[in-house]
Amino acid sequence: MPRLPRHRHFRAAALALAVIASAFAGPAAASEQSLEYAVKATYLYKLAPFVEWPAHAHDPQTGTIDLCVVGEDPFGDTLDRAVAGQQLGGRPFAVRRMRVLDPRARCHVMFLGGSAAQTADALRMARGMPVLTVTDAVADPAAMGIVNFVVVDGRVRFEIDAAAAAQNGIAISSKLLDLAVAVHRGGETPR
Amino acid sequence: MTRASGTSGIWRQASAVALGIAVALLIAGVAIAAYNERAYTMQRADEASVQARILAAAVTAALAFEDREAAQEYVNALGANPEVEAASVFDAAGLPFVTYARTAVLAVSSADGFAGPAVSPADGFAASPADGFIDVTAPVVQGGIVLGSVHLRSVTEPFAARLERYGGIALLVTMGVLVVVVLGAAHAALSRANAELRQQASALAEAYQKLKAETEERERAEEALRQSQKMEAIGQLSGGVAHDFNNLLQAMSGCLRLIERKAAVPEIRPLIEAGRQAVDRGAKLTQQLMAFARRQALRPEPVDVEGRLRGMSELLARALRADIELRMELERGLWPIEVDPTQFELAVLNLAVNARDAMPDGGRLLVEGRNLTLSSDLGPQGLGPQGLAQELAGDYVRLSLTDTGQGMSAEVLARAFEPFFTTKGVGQGTGLGLSQVYGFARQSGGTAHIDSTPGQGTSIVLMLPRCLATPAPGGPEPASAAGPGGGRRLLFVEDDPVVGAMMASAIEDLGYVVTRAVSADEALALVERGEEFDLLFTDVVMPGTASGLDLAREVRRLRPAMPILLTSGYNEGAQAGKEFPLLPKPYRVETLADALANLAEGPRVVSS
Repeated sequence: MPRLPRHRHFRAAALALAVIASAFAGPAAASEQSLEYAVKATYLYKLAPFVEWPAHAHDPQTGTIDLCVVGEDPFGDTLDRAVAGQQLGGRPFAVRRMRVLDPRARCHVMFLGGSAAQTADALRMARGMPVLTVTDAVADPAAMGIVNFVVVDGRVRFEIDAAAAAQNGIAISSKLLDLAVAVHRGGETPR
Repeated sequence: MTRASGTSGIWRQASAVALGIAVALLIAGVAIAAYNERAYTMQRADEASVQARILAAAVTAALAFEDREAAQEYVNALGANPEVEAASVFDAAGLPFVTYARTAVLAVSSADGFAGPAVSPADGFAASPADGFIDVTAPVVQGGIVLGSVHLRSVTEPFAARLERYGGIALLVTMGVLVVVVLGAAHAALSRANAELRQQASALAEAYQKLKAETEERERAEEALRQSQKMEAIGQLSGGVAHDFNNLLQAMSGCLRLIERKAAVPEIRPLIEAGRQAVDRGAKLTQQLMAFARRQALRPEPVDVEGRLRGMSELLARALRADIELRMELERGLWPIEVDPTQFELAVLNLAVNARDAMPDGGRLLVEGRNLTLSSDLGPQGLGPQGLAQELAGDYVRLSLTDTGQGMSAEVLARAFEPFFTTKGVGQGTGLGLSQVYGFARQSGGTAHIDSTPGQGTSIVLMLPRCLATPAPGGPEPASAAGPGGGRRLLFVEDDPVVGAMMASAIEDLGYVVTRAVSADEALALVERGEEFDLLFTDVVMPGTASGLDLAREVRRLRPAMPILLTSGYNEGAQAGKEFPLLPKPYRVETLADALANLAEGPRVVSS
């Protein structure tokens, strides 16, 4: 089975256009908005299978894969429905929501939904910890998580910062990298 | 033939084995084809499942994050494999995510077929081969999370193409079967041909054996014929000589008689007596010769064999020695035979004497008699050459005399019946004994032959024809004393001048008045002329238009009361002997005197 190398161009302009369009969509766009976040909620837990955490990242007592939503929660119960009954490597998913990042909290996947500044702070705090940080359509590279959702041609896609993942000590499957619209590797993108 | 059938049984088994091998080959061929087919299908299923797994692994991310473009690329990439007919990816809800189909028609059918996952994703993997296709389903799993499933439809080689592929094997198997069958058939045919050949060979051998036996039989018959012809020739020769010799002896006998009467010198009496004895011996010899030549005048009459032999036992015992045991084994109710009793007795006596001479150290003589019926188609054992069987068909009394003596060698056996052939020393035998036996048997309508083994004994067998008449009881009558002629007139007919003259004077000496005639015609003329005669004494065989027998018949017609006496040296006299008294030649004057005297008395005896 030939594996096709996938080359993606960074299309920031298109992404911005999509964000603006969604911001001014009005009531008709509200359902579209919720559909988009339902997809994102699904993607959030679906990222987990493509990620490898170091052994110490798992709590032997709870044995859960923890999905943390920090700051504003755009998903509502869609995230809880998406992970309901799902298991990863025998571990069930658990959803935690927190207004600000609690450094003691154990998180495997962390969605940062606050402002860019808050997100940047949280990212700094999480740096070096075995956490897959996810941000939603952040344009500022400093506030960009390891995975950053973007909308391309009306479809939800994502960028991956492989260097940040390496800093956090987690490994991201090449399959996921293949699918990313952009992959930042060490040195390529200034932090 | 049993061997042949046994061998053909083996060949039949061989052909059965060949058939078995052929069937086994066929079965093996079919089994190999089936195995290959199954292995091929399984291999294709494995290949398809591996491709499905690869596709499932590749499309995980694309499926998880709904990147149809990427997934479609993965799926379309499968199209590079010509064996992949269609491929589809279904999401976790079982809805088609992306689909690839090689042809539009198949796309529709695959869309139908793939409307839902054929298997639940939890099953992991499943393959379902249909005709021409192998459908494979594999789950798309990442990190234990089932993201969806992948369906792959792979074409298998069409059945016709596979059949073509198996054609090679089928051809080989068929060739093998054909070869085996042909070999088996050839073997069967060969074995049949072999059996036929063997049969023909054995039939040929049988035919050869039959031919050989027939040839031997023919040789025996020819030998018997030669022997019989030889005997016949010798018989004719000796018969002719004996007849002439007999007449000479007759003349000599008469001369001696005359000399005795005319020259009354006592000194010559012993000489005359010696001469007479010599004539007697000569007469006996010629008699036996003629017996062999079947020219003797037989007087056959019905004879009771048992009575005859019992009556002879005293005579036989005297002829044998004390150290020889005589045994008679005669079947009860032996048929009568028609033979000359005197010749019969002479034959038995001859055989007894021969047996005695063959047993110088004693032994046993067995006289056997039994009734025997010969059929014309078979020559029973112990009856001599088979050629005689035809001639001898009928009822016979078989009389055999078996001794325990020296036996005869083959050379002796071949010549034993010949006259003057003897193994005895000079002066001991005449060589005419067995020839008399043979002549007697043949002349009596029978035959004689010899069975002999050197050192073990000899058996001489007489086959004498049965006679239906009843034999007259009693033995031979004793000859009455001679009486004088009494001056009776006697017509004497004899063609031989010497014999005639000599005998006429001898008869005159007996007191008869003799009138001589040299032929039957002359004698008849005398009778017809009215000459008176009391007796007629005539030879049978004479030159002229009438024989002595004709003369006798005519005279009987003319003068029924006139006694008639015939004489003959030939067996032509035998017929005459049945009608008239017959005096066999040669005869002595005394015998003639008795016969004439009996003849003169005869009518008186009958009338009284």
